[in-house]
Amino acid sequence: MPTTPVPTVSYSDERLANGLRLIVAEDHLAPVVAINIWYDVGSKHEQPGKTGFAHLFEHVMFQGSRHVAKAEHIALVQAAGGTMNGTTWLDRTNYFETLPSHQLDLGLWLEADRMATLLDALSQENLDNQREVVKNEKRWSYDNRPYGTWQEKLQAHLFPPEHPYHHSTIGSMADLDAASLDDVKAFFQTYYAPNNAVLSIVGDVDTKAARASVERFFGAIPANPAIPPLGDMTLPPTLGREIREVVYDRVPLPRIYVGFRAPVAGDHRLDALEVAGQILAGGKGSRLHRRLVREERIAQDVALFALGFTGGASVCEGWATVRPGVSVDRVEAVLHEEIERLAVEPVSPDELARAFALIEADELAALQRVEERADRLSMYATLFDDPALVNEMLHRYLAVTPEAILEVAAATFRPDNRLVLTYLPETPPIESEAIDADAVERADEEVAA
Amino acid sequence: MTAETPQRDEIVVATRPTPGEPRPYDFPSVQRHRLGNGLNVMAVDMPGRPLISATIVVPVGAGDEPAGDAGATVLAARALTEGTEHYDAVQLTEAAERLGASLHAEAGWDATSVGIDVPAARLPAALELLAEVLLRPTFPANEVERLRDERLNDLLQAQADPRRRADETFIGTIYAQESPYHRPAAGTRETVESLGPEVARRAYEGVLDPDRATLVVAGELGGLDVVGLANRLLGSWGRDEGASHAGPVVDRAAGSGRIVRVVHRPGSVQTEIRIGHPGLPRRISDFHTVSVMSAILGGLFNSRLNMQLREAKGYTYGAGAGFDMRRGAGPFTARAAVNTEVTVPAVIDMLAELERMRDTRVEASELASARDFLIGVFPLRFETPGAVVGAVAGLAIHDLSIEELTGYRERIEAVDIDAVEAAARDHLHVDRAAIVLVGDVDAFGSDLEAAGLGRLVIDRDDVAVATQRAAEAEVAAVVGPADEGDEAGPTAGAEDPSLPGSDEPAPPEGLAPASDR
Repeated sequence: MPTTPVPTVSYSDERLANGLRLIVAEDHLAPVVAINIWYDVGSKHEQPGKTGFAHLFEHVMFQGSRHVAKAEHIALVQAAGGTMNGTTWLDRTNYFETLPSHQLDLGLWLEADRMATLLDALSQENLDNQREVVKNEKRWSYDNRPYGTWQEKLQAHLFPPEHPYHHSTIGSMADLDAASLDDVKAFFQTYYAPNNAVLSIVGDVDTKAARASVERFFGAIPANPAIPPLGDMTLPPTLGREIREVVYDRVPLPRIYVGFRAPVAGDHRLDALEVAGQILAGGKGSRLHRRLVREERIAQDVALFALGFTGGASVCEGWATVRPGVSVDRVEAVLHEEIERLAVEPVSPDELARAFALIEADELAALQRVEERADRLSMYATLFDDPALVNEMLHRYLAVTPEAILEVAAATFRPDNRLVLTYLPETPPIESEAIDADAVERADEEVAA
Repeated sequence: MTAETPQRDEIVVATRPTPGEPRPYDFPSVQRHRLGNGLNVMAVDMPGRPLISATIVVPVGAGDEPAGDAGATVLAARALTEGTEHYDAVQLTEAAERLGASLHAEAGWDATSVGIDVPAARLPAALELLAEVLLRPTFPANEVERLRDERLNDLLQAQADPRRRADETFIGTIYAQESPYHRPAAGTRETVESLGPEVARRAYEGVLDPDRATLVVAGELGGLDVVGLANRLLGSWGRDEGASHAGPVVDRAAGSGRIVRVVHRPGSVQTEIRIGHPGLPRRISDFHTVSVMSAILGGLFNSRLNMQLREAKGYTYGAGAGFDMRRGAGPFTARAAVNTEVTVPAVIDMLAELERMRDTRVEASELASARDFLIGVFPLRFETPGAVVGAVAGLAIHDLSIEELTGYRERIEAVDIDAVEAAARDHLHVDRAAIVLVGDVDAFGSDLEAAGLGRLVIDRDDVAVATQRAAEAEVAAVVGPADEGDEAGPTAGAEDPSLPGSDEPAPPEGLAPASDR
């Protein structure tokens, strides 16, 4: 049980006649309100040749609608003293704004206008403009960044080519170039319907008044009765073999990434895996940090965490950055050893208690912000049809047992379920101690093999 | 919330809603108390916020250290949690974890701080740990040396990262050699290599002065006697004779002419652009005007720079500008990352926006949206105890009164077009701005030369060369994560250096870079 009572989120949960799911949670501590919409569409819905489109579309959502000019959505929110953004991920797309609470109607109206009438303002010019912006986003976040390709490669290796998680959310430059106005229209008409969305409102509002506003602004937007279901996304629980790739990049220090298929989001085994991630790499007291960074001093930094997905498998991923003068092989061996030890030795009561205390504090920290609460309500409603998880997840984490960790670690951290992605400097410096020459040679052999 | 009957336009309401009645907001009230040894205690009760945030801040930072010890203060702060009289590093970490507490110590240009975030019930135990790391650190040699080596490796990583390379080159270009701002707060390879436990301890002793220190605690404090706790844990803290009284920081510019400096990065698909010059210190009379002016220029999403470079041209994912205000004049920087082919047109557009800001009066609508944003977003900024502690600690660092926060919105409201015009004229120096580019000069070098923007200097090394040079201790200053951030709010100056190698898990793709939010 939590040692500090975590405030319970009370909320209303209903559907408008057009299928829009509305969740309202009052919180009058501060005069602010968070509005958050999750559309049940993400990069997993993209068709071959159209990778990156869900995210490009998200940008187009800020280019205006019938009563809102290009970039005016953001201008109006900021002038009202609010903040906003939108993000796209494999399983969903979300849009959110946090406003002074007396500006609730403005935020709702802006969201409704684009949900209903985006296509009225659509132009080739705006699409082309945002295509260039997104291509620069890809360059900035991935292509021009050391180790920047790792997440893309990881997904490509952990999911087979025909699986919707095989490609990254940012997509490919060629597919972005090919995106057309017709694609935007079809995508909008298919997925941007009230019955494919969850709207959460959290903050200094009156539930009845908020409901009335939502009804007024969204109530007449027609549903789409024919949203196509996704195909079967099930996968074997493990990769079936170890996959290895060596990447030469413009990096000064080698880095070893590992990736594993993991249980889907919502599965209790993933809760246990997340606690395992905390024990392995959650901060300076964690096993990987302690052994690789502090004691043996063979790594500059380490990480390991799970990303929960709903279709077929989640991923558990991590890395260790190799210190200068240290053998890449050695670091990889220790990384595997520590990860796999979790599958054979039960965690100690003290280790588990420390992990729980940190998880509890993290939950407290996250849930104190109305923006995060709204996002979680939308998330749990969209992915699991269960917004009550906002109050249950902490208890689920704290109920994880040493046996459950052993079990999920044994099922996940297996050599035949492992991707090893090794980044090496593309031009080894000469007569420098920065890189272990043996490691570079070894890696060359791997490529040849 | 609008009283009028809305006009329905088929499926949506055509009329824009009018705002309701704003609910009053006041910055939470701050209880001040001074202990016998001079320590200031500031307690902020925030009912309903069970995660408490507590920080002890002393206004002595990297700006105060001798050039030869550059990086010592940051290293000393990081070493505080690596061992104390009663705990070794692992015991300390585990003790904090059992409390569910994140214990952190850091130093920036202006200040050194030790902080902890912890659920309310465990605040007394957490404050004991805080006092332990502040008052009884032992600077174990092997841990300090590890931290030093991690910083050296971080410097290697910075060379390969175009953003950090651009920031490094920019500050190294705009500030004179004798200014500490010429180098990163966490030090250069040359200085860090010689750092050890003794230097760290000396830097730490410079910080040890309760008379200048402030403890800030915020969150749900009901029933907690913060002053009593502070007295018990910190009341016997005495001033160390090595404690330094921070003097003025040398913030002189490197030169007076326009310089264009390119770091050649072959094959780079983007060019990182930095344009600017030494800017302003935090304690200036027109702080609020400058905040409004820089919001219009490069702070808001619909700022002039972002609207032109992103929304009109598609050159970038985000362009912005701002003043990093410190005890001395921190940098003014305009920044963007653009695709290589448009490098020169983008630089020309950015210069044009800077000149337009300086030479022409802003529109009333621009002024209104910047003012309304800064005023309206104020309550949102202080939703959490951590944010309140950051703001109050920022006041302590710059010796500003609480009125700076309570009167903030009124002062922003009072900014007018004339004031913005004067601020732009006084503080934007386009003619002596440095232009720093990290990118593939083979792709844009001749256009750049033809544009005649200033004296051109090209550093033709690539990452491999940089790595090798680094190993030979020949590399100039590299900016560290401690130098990030151009926030020019009331709390500017409360740096929060992150640890090296803190790559985040892959984020979902967003509309705008986090800095635009």
